[in-house]
Amino acid sequence: MSTTHSANLERSLLLIPLPLLLLVFYLLPFLGVVGWSFTLPEPGIEQYQRIATDPAIHDMLWRTLRLCLTVSTLALVIGYLLAYCWVFSPPFWQRMVEICIFIPFWISVLVRAFGWLIALRSNGVLNGGLMGLGLIDSPLQLTRNETGVVIGMLHFMVPYALFPLLSSMRQLDQRVLLASRGLGAGALRTFWQVLLPQTVPGLLGAFIMVFVFCLGFFITPVLLGGGQTVMIAEYVFLQMFQTSNWGLGAALSVVLLALVSALIWLLLRITRVNRLVG
Amino acid sequence: MSQEHQRDCIEVLIEKARNGQINRRTFIQAMGLLAAAPLAMRSGISWAADGKPLVVVNWGGDALDAFRRSWTDSFSKSTGIQVRIDGAGPTEGAIRSQLASGKPSWDVVDVDSYSAMTLGRDKILQPLDYSVIQRGQVAPGQSHDHGIAGYLFSYVMAWDSEQFGDQGPTSWADFWNVEKFPGKRTLYKWMNGMLEAALLADGVPAEQLYPLDVPRALRKIDELKPHVLSFWSSGAESQQLMIEGEVSMGAIWSTRAKLLAEDSEGRIRWGYDNAFLNASSWAVLSDNPAGSQEAMRFIQHALQPEGQLKLFELLGNGPSNGATQKLMTAEQREADCASEENFKKQIFLNTEWYADNYATTLEQYLTHLSK
Repeated sequence: MSTTHSANLERSLLLIPLPLLLLVFYLLPFLGVVGWSFTLPEPGIEQYQRIATDPAIHDMLWRTLRLCLTVSTLALVIGYLLAYCWVFSPPFWQRMVEICIFIPFWISVLVRAFGWLIALRSNGVLNGGLMGLGLIDSPLQLTRNETGVVIGMLHFMVPYALFPLLSSMRQLDQRVLLASRGLGAGALRTFWQVLLPQTVPGLLGAFIMVFVFCLGFFITPVLLGGGQTVMIAEYVFLQMFQTSNWGLGAALSVVLLALVSALIWLLLRITRVNRLVG
Repeated sequence: MSQEHQRDCIEVLIEKARNGQINRRTFIQAMGLLAAAPLAMRSGISWAADGKPLVVVNWGGDALDAFRRSWTDSFSKSTGIQVRIDGAGPTEGAIRSQLASGKPSWDVVDVDSYSAMTLGRDKILQPLDYSVIQRGQVAPGQSHDHGIAGYLFSYVMAWDSEQFGDQGPTSWADFWNVEKFPGKRTLYKWMNGMLEAALLADGVPAEQLYPLDVPRALRKIDELKPHVLSFWSSGAESQQLMIEGEVSMGAIWSTRAKLLAEDSEGRIRWGYDNAFLNASSWAVLSDNPAGSQEAMRFIQHALQPEGQLKLFELLGNGPSNGATQKLMTAEQREADCASEENFKKQIFLNTEWYADNYATTLEQYLTHLSK
């Protein structure tokens, strides 16, 4: 009895550094940011009123949400297909999926953004190839706009969609699928009525994880957006460093954090954490 | 053997101290450990107030090395004050946060002239000591209470002769004329000079530009926007857009235009006609750590013609001290944005207007870009 008690105590002591670290290096500074949002340049809720009423800020928030939703949805579809390949394919294809996912996964986001810029620009590899094959007459505009941002972000986010989906598919009892086929259901019906419903928690988890990550993207939209695709992270940077409007920058950070917290709360409610991380 | 190694350690330490990479206390302690305290005394290294090196902050990249070779090496040599160049990028927000932290670590910053004015009004910067810095070295209008032009640079029109042959654009109206001059464009993301270009294109005479008619300028930019491929935010980006032929015309820095003309063997052409001249200014943070006098002495040193010429040779930035012209060859003067001849062709960005309006207008400008 006493041994388990002291073991528990030891375990909780070992856990202390984490909340302490978060308190000192995250929560306290963040309270400072919250303070700024209500005090700069003058005390009051002026900055929040501006966020609620300024059409330019609404445009930016809407653009951020639109891009994040697009990227999350596409990442989910691609992630689902890859997870399916990984779980149900012969070993050769499993290796191929691993290589295609892990090698880019270890490359820095900055390098990848430049890589996409080179590959996608009007006289780049992709446009050159398509024109060489006679598929298009004039180059497609694939970078320096929202399309470029979506491609760049998607490439970064697919692994984050893949992992939760993978763990949810691996936990699946594959005999259930065999049983479904054995009882006369076709491949499509097995997918819709047996596989998909059982992977819904993984899908939701993956969606929210990818979406939350997307909200904070900075360098990819800056490099691939041609200066015309300002998302919330860059907008906050702008307020902090270019226009010195710290109050608005802080208020937007608070709004962003509130949004992310709400989504994470949702994530925890919908799916148990252990299923998500496998 | 160990003695050789010890001697090498001492050399490394002296080198580090000269470059301002370590402070006096670390230096003396380390030399003491190596039993070289007497040598430390004789090393000829002197220290700024409290033994802190003077920290000069610029925008990094090639400018790190160029500042060292043009200014800080010679300054340390002649005054014994150590200098450390930090390429962190002294944006207004970063300078403000230095002061807000209560313990600034920067001394001298290289900022836009209007930023120095804005920050000076908020007492983030200290007034320059014009008994140490000779104000008359720069042209009138290029110095104010909190900033003095350290070098000049220009936003010019560059174009691709592969697209237009010898009949290239000659005015900002041509830049906006996509029927006569087809192809994509690139403009500057941080706005300097771009509203002016739009207004000139819209028919506003150069002498009536200020105060800028912002709504009119933004309307004109909206008009060109479908043809703008990218709003560049770094010099390298603008250079890449032009050299790859992704755009046929760009409003870019003169320094990059010069490199482009050289790299493309004349394919990319440019000129100073109707370009926008801007001053990058020296400014000193309030309560700067290494001492006010040291900072002022550095600025005075950096205004000397020899160093200014060196910076021009390394980066192509125009000397703010007119006396530098006398040291230049005719060819250099032709390329120099600040030479008398080129100065007349250009429009000097109005420091007061930018100090009053930059932040609010930039936000509107960026909103228009993102639409």
